[in-house]
Amino acid sequence: MASLTIKNAVKRYGNVEVLKGVDIDLEDGEFLVLLGASGCGKSTLLNMIAGLESVTEGEIMIGDRVINDVHPKDRDIAMVFQSYALYPNMSVGKNISFGLEMRGVPKKERDQAVQEVAKMLQMDHLLDRKPSQLSGGQRQRVAMGRALVRRPEVFLFDEPLSNLDAKLRLEMRTEIKRLHKRLNATMVYVTHDQIEALTLADRIAILKDGEVQQLGTPAEIYDRPVNMFVAGLVGSPPMNFIEATVVRTDSGYAAEVMVRAAGADQTVLLDLDAQAADVSDRVGRKIIVGLRPEAITQAGQKAGGDAQSFPSDIDVTEATGADTLCVLHWNGKEVMARVSSGYAQIIEGTMDFAVDMSRASLFDPETEKRLD
Amino acid sequence: MSDHTYSPAQGQSVLWMRLLLWALLILFAIWFLLPAYVVVGTSLKDLEEIRGGSLLALPHELNFSAWKHAWNEACIGVRCTGLEPYFWNSVFMALPAVFISTLLGALTGYALTKFQFRGANMIFALILFGCFVPFQVVILPMAQTLGRLGITNTVYGLILVHSVYGLAFTTLFFRNYYVTIPDELVRAATIDGAGFFTIFRRIILPLSPPIIVVSVIWQFTQIWNDFLFGASFTTGGAQPITVAMNNLVNTTTGVKQYNVDMAAALITAAPTLFVYIVAGRYFVRGLTAGSVKG
Ligand SMILES: Nc1ncnc2c1ncn2[C@@H]1O[C@H](COP(=O)(O)OP(=O)(O)OP(=O)(O)O)[C@@H](O)[C@H]1O
Ligand SMILES: [Mg+2]
Repeated sequence: MASLTIKNAVKRYGNVEVLKGVDIDLEDGEFLVLLGASGCGKSTLLNMIAGLESVTEGEIMIGDRVINDVHPKDRDIAMVFQSYALYPNMSVGKNISFGLEMRGVPKKERDQAVQEVAKMLQMDHLLDRKPSQLSGGQRQRVAMGRALVRRPEVFLFDEPLSNLDAKLRLEMRTEIKRLHKRLNATMVYVTHDQIEALTLADRIAILKDGEVQQLGTPAEIYDRPVNMFVAGLVGSPPMNFIEATVVRTDSGYAAEVMVRAAGADQTVLLDLDAQAADVSDRVGRKIIVGLRPEAITQAGQKAGGDAQSFPSDIDVTEATGADTLCVLHWNGKEVMARVSSGYAQIIEGTMDFAVDMSRASLFDPETEKRLD
Repeated sequence: MSDHTYSPAQGQSVLWMRLLLWALLILFAIWFLLPAYVVVGTSLKDLEEIRGGSLLALPHELNFSAWKHAWNEACIGVRCTGLEPYFWNSVFMALPAVFISTLLGALTGYALTKFQFRGANMIFALILFGCFVPFQVVILPMAQTLGRLGITNTVYGLILVHSVYGLAFTTLFFRNYYVTIPDELVRAATIDGAGFFTIFRRIILPLSPPIIVVSVIWQFTQIWNDFLFGASFTTGGAQPITVAMNNLVNTTTGVKQYNVDMAAALITAAPTLFVYIVAGRYFVRGLTAGSVKG
C-alpha cells in the first residue's frame, strides 16, 4: 500500500520552467485528478511520477521511498496512455502479459493473471485478437487490463477517455470508478474535462502554467474556489462573475448591481450578510460576486430562507432537459440562471428570480483571489 | 466508363484519343524494350548466326552455350574460370554488407528517434550528409583504412566499405520510418520493464518489415551494382562480378564473342532483376508506408 508525495517538484526544459514547484500529498488509496487547460504541465507531472521525465528539482516519493532516480519499471506504477499505446504486433493477451514476462513471471502464472484481468474487464473473447482488430472502447479496455495485471501500487492515467465517444466515455468513467473502489489503489488521473474530474476524484489539483491553483475535494473546488480561474474552470455552464459595488445597509453590507427588469435597469442590493468575507473596508469599491447558475433560480417554491428575490428580464432561454437556462442582463452583461423546466416555458419576459447569496463567492477584482 | 453516356460524336473522338494513347504507349514500350530484346536474343545465338543475321532477328534455337561459356569457361585476364567465382564473391560481399548496414541503420534510426538525446538531430544531420558524399571522395582514405586493417583485396574489405557507406542511407530510411511510430509505445514498454534492446527486438523490429524491404532492396542493388569500390580495392580473384564482367568483355582473344558478352551482362544483372521482380512492389509500399494503427 502506498502513499504518493510530491515535494516542490520543478521541471525545466532549458530555461523554460514548465512546472514551478508542485506540492501534492496523496494518501494510500486516494484518487487524485490533475485538471487544467492544455499545456499547463499535467502530462509532464504524470510522466515525472512515472519516471519517463527526469525531475529537475524536488522530490517524488511512493510510500517513504524517494523515487527520483528509480527506473520506471522499479517504481511499482502502471500507466494508461491517451493513445493506449498497445503493441500493434502482439495479441491482446500478449499485450497484457508483456509486463509480467519482462519481470520473469512464469508462463503459467502469467496466463492465469491474464485470464483474471480479462474476466474483470469482460474481454475474455478478445485475447487472441490484434489491437487493430478492436474498436476504440475495446482498445481502451486492453490498455486498462495491461495496467491492472501487475497490481501496481500507483496507477497513472493520461487522459485515457479522451479518444472515446460521449457514451463510451460515460461507461468507462463508471468502470474506472468501480475499479478504484475494488482495488483500493492510489490513482492519479489527468484530464481537462471538469466533469470527469468532479465525478472521479477524491481530490482535484487544478494546474495553471505549472502551478497548483487549488488542491481540494470536488465539493471544495466547486463551492469554494480560491480564485476566479478555478471558479471559471469548474462547472458548466461556468460561474457568473458580476461586478458590483459594496454598499452599507441597515443590517450590514450589500453588493449593488443593476438588473434589467421590465426593460429598464433597476438597482438591486445583493445581501452580503451570509458571507464570511469581511467587506467593511471595501465600501464604495468594486468586488466580483461569483454566482453559479443554480444559485439564481425561480422565486417562490423552493427559495430558501435567506434567498432574496427580485424581477429580471429573460433574454433567451436554453432548455437542457431537466433544467432551463435563462440568460439575464445584469450590469449590462449576460448572466446565466438555472430554472426548473416548467417555469421558463411559461414566461419569456419578466420573471421573479431568487438569489441564494449564501452560495456566492466573492473575489477581489485586482488579484482575482477569493475574499474570505 | 460504362455508366457514362456520350453523344455519338463525343464517343468517336474519345475512341480516337484512346487509340492514339495506346499507340504511343506501345511505341515507347518497344523503344525501351528493344535493347533488352537484343541483349537476350544475342546471348542465345552462336557466332555464325550473329555474323549472318540481323541484330533484330529471332535466334533459330535456344542455344545456351554462350551462357555456359560466360559462367565457367570464359577468360578474365589470364584466368579462364568464367564468372562463377566472381559471382560468389559478389554474393559473399553483398549479403553480409546488406545485413549489417540494414541492422545498424535500424538500430541507429531507433536510437535517434526513440531515445532522443542531446544533439540527436545534429548527429542525424551529419549522417544525412553522408548520403551526399560521392564515392570518389572516400576512396583514398578508405584505401588507407583497409591497408591498416590488413583487409585490402579481400571480400571482408568490401563488406566493410559497403556497410559503412550504406549506413547513411539505411539510417535515413529507418529514422524517417520510426518517427511515425508513436513514442508512447516505447514509454509503455519502458514501464513494462523492457530495456533498449528488448524494445527494439520485441516491439520496433516487428513493425519494421516495410522499411526493411526498402533498405534491403536499395542496399542490395547499390552494393551488387557497385563497380568503383570493387575496382579500387580488389584485384584478380577477389573482384566482384561487376568488375569481372568488365574485364571479361575487355579480354579479347581473337574474335569478339558478342553472345558471351551479352550472357555475362545478363548473369551479372540477374540478381538485382530478381530482387526487383520479387520484392519491387513492396519497395513502393514500404516507402509510402506510414505508422502503425492501434
Ligand atoms: N521536451 C520539451 N521541451 C520543451 N518544452 C516542453 C517539452 N515537453 C513539453 N514541453 C512544454 O511543457 C508544457 C506542458 O506540457 P504537457 O505535455 O505537460 O501539457 P499538458 O498539460 O499535458 O497538455 P495537454 O492537455 O495538451 O496534454 C507545454 O507548454 C509544452 O510546450
Ligand atoms: Mg497531456
